[in-house]
Amino acid sequence: MPAFPYLLLPIVWASRNRIRRSERGDFVRALMFALIALAVCAALYSGAFWLTRQLAGYEELGDYLLRIGLSWVFLTFLSFLAFSGVVTALSTFFLSDDLRLLVVAPVAGRRLFHARFARTVSQASWMAVVFLAPVLIGVGAARSAPAAFYVTAVLTLVPFAIIPVALGTGVTLALVSVFPARRARDILMLMGLLFAASLVLLLRFLQPEQLVRVESLPDLTGFFATLQSPITPLLPSFWAGETLFASLQGRSDALHGAALWTTALGTTVLLRMANERWYFSGFSKAQEARKARFTKLSALDRIVGVLPLSGLQRHLLVKDIKVFLRDVSQWSQLLLLLALVLVYMYNFRVLDLDRIPYMSSVIKNVYAFVNLAMAGLVMATVTVRFVFPAVSAEGAAFWIVRSAPVPLRDFLWSKFWIGLVPVLLLTEGLTIACNELLGVDPFFKVVAAVAIAFMSFAMVGLATGLGARYPRFGADNASQVAGSYGGVAFMIVAVLYVMMIIALIAWPSSLYLWHRLRAMPLTLTQQTLMAACFLAAVAVSVATWWLSMRAGVRALQQLDRAPA
Amino acid sequence: MLETHNIVKTFGGFTAVNDVSLAVPAGEIHGFLGPNGAGKTTMIRMIAGLLKPTSGQIIVNGHDMAVDPETAKASLGFIPDRPFIYEKLTAGEFLRFHAGLYGLDGNGVGTRIEEMLALFELTRWEHELVESFSHGMKQRLVMSAAFLHRPQAILVDEPMVGLDPRGARLIKEVFRRMSARGAAILMSTHTLEVAQEMCDRISIIVRGQIIARGTVDELRGLAGGQDEQLTPVFLKLTGGTGLQEIDDGTV
Repeated sequence: MPAFPYLLLPIVWASRNRIRRSERGDFVRALMFALIALAVCAALYSGAFWLTRQLAGYEELGDYLLRIGLSWVFLTFLSFLAFSGVVTALSTFFLSDDLRLLVVAPVAGRRLFHARFARTVSQASWMAVVFLAPVLIGVGAARSAPAAFYVTAVLTLVPFAIIPVALGTGVTLALVSVFPARRARDILMLMGLLFAASLVLLLRFLQPEQLVRVESLPDLTGFFATLQSPITPLLPSFWAGETLFASLQGRSDALHGAALWTTALGTTVLLRMANERWYFSGFSKAQEARKARFTKLSALDRIVGVLPLSGLQRHLLVKDIKVFLRDVSQWSQLLLLLALVLVYMYNFRVLDLDRIPYMSSVIKNVYAFVNLAMAGLVMATVTVRFVFPAVSAEGAAFWIVRSAPVPLRDFLWSKFWIGLVPVLLLTEGLTIACNELLGVDPFFKVVAAVAIAFMSFAMVGLATGLGARYPRFGADNASQVAGSYGGVAFMIVAVLYVMMIIALIAWPSSLYLWHRLRAMPLTLTQQTLMAACFLAAVAVSVATWWLSMRAGVRALQQLDRAPA
Repeated sequence: MLETHNIVKTFGGFTAVNDVSLAVPAGEIHGFLGPNGAGKTTMIRMIAGLLKPTSGQIIVNGHDMAVDPETAKASLGFIPDRPFIYEKLTAGEFLRFHAGLYGLDGNGVGTRIEEMLALFELTRWEHELVESFSHGMKQRLVMSAAFLHRPQAILVDEPMVGLDPRGARLIKEVFRRMSARGAAILMSTHTLEVAQEMCDRISIIVRGQIIARGTVDELRGLAGGQDEQLTPVFLKLTGGTGLQEIDDGTV
């Protein structure tokens, strides 16, 4: 019977086939993601390089901080990897479709475990490795580390990834033994949400900006010391940090390196034993149907009943809300987004612009436009994830709408209005609140509030229209739709649109501000040009909105292929 | 060849399969009939090793599925009602992978794959991605995979779903040939004509329990009628059609 790497062959073959038979837009998408990844890696490398160089100037203190910093970076990734292992294992060991094929085959449980665990480790840890690699290379380059450092880094990262993922997989095995796998997924989604939100809030409230203040430098050691605890030396993150720090100095720390490898091996063996004992029961449970959630929503029907909507719109709205509420992955991501928005707003609250009194007024108003641009980008992210997939989300059930006596125009417009209301409320609230916290000029407050309303119409229209034009009815989830060719095209157009609107509004607004600060009246020509710019922004927004929706309706009407 | 002893499967408080015992000897085509939700698929998935029975024993080719699952599964071919196939693999790649799972290797594998593709009329699609296949083609590909390793027992869940008449005739032919060569076939189906035409014996399952078993003639006798077709016999044994509700205007 086949050895475990054989079970990974379909992934290799499928990747090869994907490359050979790439679809339209795949290259553009790959290029765009590669450029983004490269930019992020370059930023991480530069940051790590710069920081290490700065620390090198503090002699022993610098070494101490670098040593603690390394183990702190690993500690952050340790918790991330453990959680990622829990979530990934749920999919790879219990919910993945190909398990139905593999479990009925005469494949030894041990081999199946090895193949799935290898897949879990790689899926759960690739992102951590992608982030850690440029950081470690940056540290190594700044300290002119020997080649052995980079070899040690690879030998450290492998067991460092295996240990938390093995523990996470063990937690999943235990969870699935208690709850059916599909229920466990819901619980994990919520845990993930709380984990991510708390991490973001923690980082924000730690106020890392204090670190860059020169006057607070003596407190740095205290700051790092608070991140240490008595159990830290027992964690793999500490061992990884120590191993790498020793290697950075041209020494070798066999003790901590050995601790990493033996623990990785030990956890894997223990996990394999647990898997042999409990896996099949958990997998069998995972086949059971999940219970419906939010089945009693009479209040929703009553609320929608009083809205000024046609019967069709009412039914589509109720259906979309119920589907949304019953899909934990949807609303948990929305809640996570709200947490990020809160942190974003908090940033504006803590901005201490009054430290530079002569410039504060100008900077505040510049920030108002930064805020508007940020709100536009938040809007693009929200719409690509929640509005763009609206048509694709009908999936294989789209035949119901297509075969019913429902004009596709009404269907698409209904999707538009359903998307518009939350997006408008979110971004309008964000803009008004941030401008209020900043204390910007009242004129700007009005301009920004009006602009964001027009931008909401344009962006939701663009997302709905392009979503109808490039549907992915066969996609497994909304994230896959958002990452499709159409989704990437939408993001590019949306970012260009935001930049154009900001440019059209910023110039006349800055002109107004400049004249007001100097108490100079605006000439008629200047007033005409300002009005022309504002009108152009309105025209671009309305045209984007209207033309996108029209193209979307036409695309739906011409849809001559059956949904996959 | 295929035996189950007192199989019980419960989901929470719901009993899907209740004390079902079956025996399908080599060379027999055994039909598994029952209304929707009767427990046919649950039973077949337990025999295939996808679901764990709450209690009872499953024996395939003399091997206990709970004690020696690998050897038991090596003798089985399973054709599910909703098969999984890697969408980004070609038909040929999928069969090659499947062959490896069942321990087939060496020079003979390529020839065997070609035989199967030819038998199920998929030769010209060998190098096409599965994602471009129709439902019927996917069904035929899964059948090719199930027969690839020359199993001694075959489990089929709703074999005719999505097949055109030509495909359906082909499948019937293949099943007959396999049974003539000594394979035991357990087939769940809703299509009574298929059961009547192909099965040597039939078990009727209702609410998780076998309520009748025998040849078509024996079942006819149990239902106490002289009907030529199996449909009225099935309806009498399983408790009517429910059509009177539509006629009465209650639906």
